[in-house]
Amino acid sequence: MLPAGCGGRLAAALQAALRGGAERRRELERSAERGRDVLWGERRGDERPKAEVGPGGGRESTPSSRELEELELLNAALEKALRVRESVSGAPAAARGAPGAKPAGGAADGGDTGELELPAATRDGPAAACPTCEVRAGSRQPTAAKKPPPYRLRAPYRTDPDVRRTQRKAPAGRVSRAPGAAGKSSSKAVAPKQGGRRGPAVPAAAKPQRTAGFPRSAPSEQHGLPAGDGSSVAVCGQQLSAGKRCCAPLRLPGGAEEHTAGARSASPRAAALQEQGCQLELPLPYRKAHTRNSRAWEKCRLCHTSADAAAARTRFTERIQSSFCSPTPTLSPAEIEKELKALQDVPSRLSLYVEAESADHPTLQREYESLLTLEGLQSTVSQCLHKLQLLRAAVESQRKLHPGCTGDQRDCCAACAAGAWVCGSAGTLAVPLLCYSRLQELRDLFALKLQVSMLHQQIALQKVSL
Amino acid sequence: MRRCRALPAAVGALCRALPPRARLAPDVLRRARFDRPQATLDFWRLLYALLKQIHGGEWTESDAIDTQIRFVKSALWYHGYGRPELYQLPSDGSAGSRELLLAFSWLLHRVNLLEWLLARNRVKTGDETSVCTCEDDLSHSQKDTTEMAPGLEDRVDVRYLQWLNGKLRFQWRSLHAQHQEQCKLLHKIHLFTSGSHTDQALGHFSVTETDLIRHPENYNQLLQHLELETMQLEAFLEWKQLEAVYWQWMETVLDNMAEEGSLRTVRDAPVETSRLQEGATCCPWAESMTVQIDRLSGEMTALHSQLQELVARRRSAWCQKVKTREEELQKEDFSTKLGKIEESVELKLLDLTNHGAPNKNKMHGSCRLVFRSKRSASKTGFGGSASKEPVPAVSATEVIRELRMREASLQRELKQLQDECKQRLDGIAERLDGVICISP
Repeated sequence: MLPAGCGGRLAAALQAALRGGAERRRELERSAERGRDVLWGERRGDERPKAEVGPGGGRESTPSSRELEELELLNAALEKALRVRESVSGAPAAARGAPGAKPAGGAADGGDTGELELPAATRDGPAAACPTCEVRAGSRQPTAAKKPPPYRLRAPYRTDPDVRRTQRKAPAGRVSRAPGAAGKSSSKAVAPKQGGRRGPAVPAAAKPQRTAGFPRSAPSEQHGLPAGDGSSVAVCGQQLSAGKRCCAPLRLPGGAEEHTAGARSASPRAAALQEQGCQLELPLPYRKAHTRNSRAWEKCRLCHTSADAAAARTRFTERIQSSFCSPTPTLSPAEIEKELKALQDVPSRLSLYVEAESADHPTLQREYESLLTLEGLQSTVSQCLHKLQLLRAAVESQRKLHPGCTGDQRDCCAACAAGAWVCGSAGTLAVPLLCYSRLQELRDLFALKLQVSMLHQQIALQKVSL
Repeated sequence: MRRCRALPAAVGALCRALPPRARLAPDVLRRARFDRPQATLDFWRLLYALLKQIHGGEWTESDAIDTQIRFVKSALWYHGYGRPELYQLPSDGSAGSRELLLAFSWLLHRVNLLEWLLARNRVKTGDETSVCTCEDDLSHSQKDTTEMAPGLEDRVDVRYLQWLNGKLRFQWRSLHAQHQEQCKLLHKIHLFTSGSHTDQALGHFSVTETDLIRHPENYNQLLQHLELETMQLEAFLEWKQLEAVYWQWMETVLDNMAEEGSLRTVRDAPVETSRLQEGATCCPWAESMTVQIDRLSGEMTALHSQLQELVARRRSAWCQKVKTREEELQKEDFSTKLGKIEESVELKLLDLTNHGAPNKNKMHGSCRLVFRSKRSASKTGFGGSASKEPVPAVSATEVIRELRMREASLQRELKQLQDECKQRLDGIAERLDGVICISP
């Protein structure tokens, strides 16, 4: 039934569509991964420590690539399962949080309980960042139950006392830059080998460090110290790189609170961002840059062209346009596209109005109103038709002017594949905002956007098959 | 004399306000003023880079110069630049720097080149999404690929196509699920971090910013970009201060050209040469515009006849009713009531037609997603009411409404195409004797 050649074209188009979609999915997956990392990173951190306990340093240092692969798969599956569970309802999530916390607490001495959360919170940043870390998480399962106080073990693995120390020594004023340093150290922590080897020696080293580190952290740290016990704090101290430092202290109170409150809120990881999220601070250099930048945008937005500049500019433009070829078309191709775009949804919109008016009306007044509205719509439609005629004429005159058009689409109309141009036409100097007030709005928005682009694709495919 | 000193400053600021990837040495402008051939290539390259950025195309500095020139000419045509001299410039880029300077300056004003580029290249630190209903990138890139796809064999099994189609559907469904999850993540992050951003207008962090707090080391480049952008913005501000000098200077360029007789006005130009270049009759752009116009005209015409019928029926019914109840109505002072109705309808229609007007400050391009709970929104007012001119902000409800409209139009278009397809199939089926086809 398909016309000759059509099958091939359709297949090619479908394949191209699939490729495009796959690319889109990958991109989305990447950004979702990042989102999850930011949001749930905590959890992974939580899990990881346990994992480490079992295998011991040696194992960590030399997982085979196959093993890594398998673990990664396992990890992904687990993570997915967790996510699913979480999404099913809030309650399960909360439940999950509690059990997770308890075993650890129970195992640790009484003093520990307060801080159990700490390491988790602090740690997961790096963990999330690095796939190799996660691998370890996979191994956790068997061991996890057995060894609750694993948090301590982690410390050695991450610690790189020298590095840390040098960082700490940096002038206090550098706090702001600390984040950068933090990043570095965290990345180091990620490398399993170093940590593993050094492990045993570390705990002692860690403690001093931590104390050194904390002083720099924000005031909130004070909460943290009393609550946490030395070992766990040490753990986080080590990997707390500067970045950590900014947020770790902030997290502390959250962690402690959470504990005392019990499983009152959602899962611990979500809680980390949830409770400390509003106290987070951007690293100083970035904050400065952002402020400067947004101030510059603001100034640009409010800046106007001076009167004499505007006059000179207009004079220049008029003079040069008077030398344009005649007859100068009234609309440029760009303007034609813009006008056309403005018209593209008018039929849909008008039909909606017509539909609304087509019911019978009970009162005379309403009936009159409806009649007038319909008449108004009618004249609007006439106007649009007239406009379309003008546009058609404009297209014709532009077609004649088009320079060196060879009919080859890629070549000739490279400039006019210009959804992009029309689309960006805002040209306003500001960071435009799109405000939403409910999650549902966001969902609708994205669903509709997707729907629209799917329709675009379907139309394109339908055209191919015609 | 003051101008002499101000000019280099203006030109310098202008050059610094251009995007880093397409920056010009101020000297080139000065050389172009005297139509020096050395400046020509630089100018073509500049225009190529700028226009490519505006049109969102891929490009490199090493693209062949004649390709670059062809593109620039085409893009200038697209924006409505009509000086024939420009289109007659040689395609090896050996001459014509002054013409190019003129075209550049014209773009600067007519297209708001600088503003546009700044907005387009904005460093994005937020969670961005596009807000307009223009065709998205996907369909564009797809158009390209379908055209470029190597011709597969003609004989393609229908089942293969069905399989591909099924796969595609499944892909869309997974994409939908992914998007929904993404929304959830975004919202959580926005919600949890609300109140922490130093920027009051934003209120909360974006994913990037939250991640930045955790791994600042990964964002050194972002920081750099941000700083570069700030410098560019500052250069733009400087340019806005000195702009007048530049335009006065450009006028002197035109004066010189007029003296030389190279600035012909329309009256002197013979009609034939005034055509930019006798265009080919087939122009894909014109084709696609015509197709769109045809489609819209068809829809409008259908709507028009529908309305005509409806209005005629309603009017006669109305007249009859009024006639039968004439006396009764006169007592009620009916005419003043009608007057009020007329007014309200007028307002309603005005609102309606405004919707279809171009340039109604509709937003385009990508926006930063900002969560504002109803409460905080009412407290602070939308878009920071503190400043005189509010920050451009659009609400999700508005965008959703637009998207719904777009969806409806696309549905119609698709329906039309499907009907067309079905008709063809029916036509084919009719020609088959003795075969009964049951359409799906």
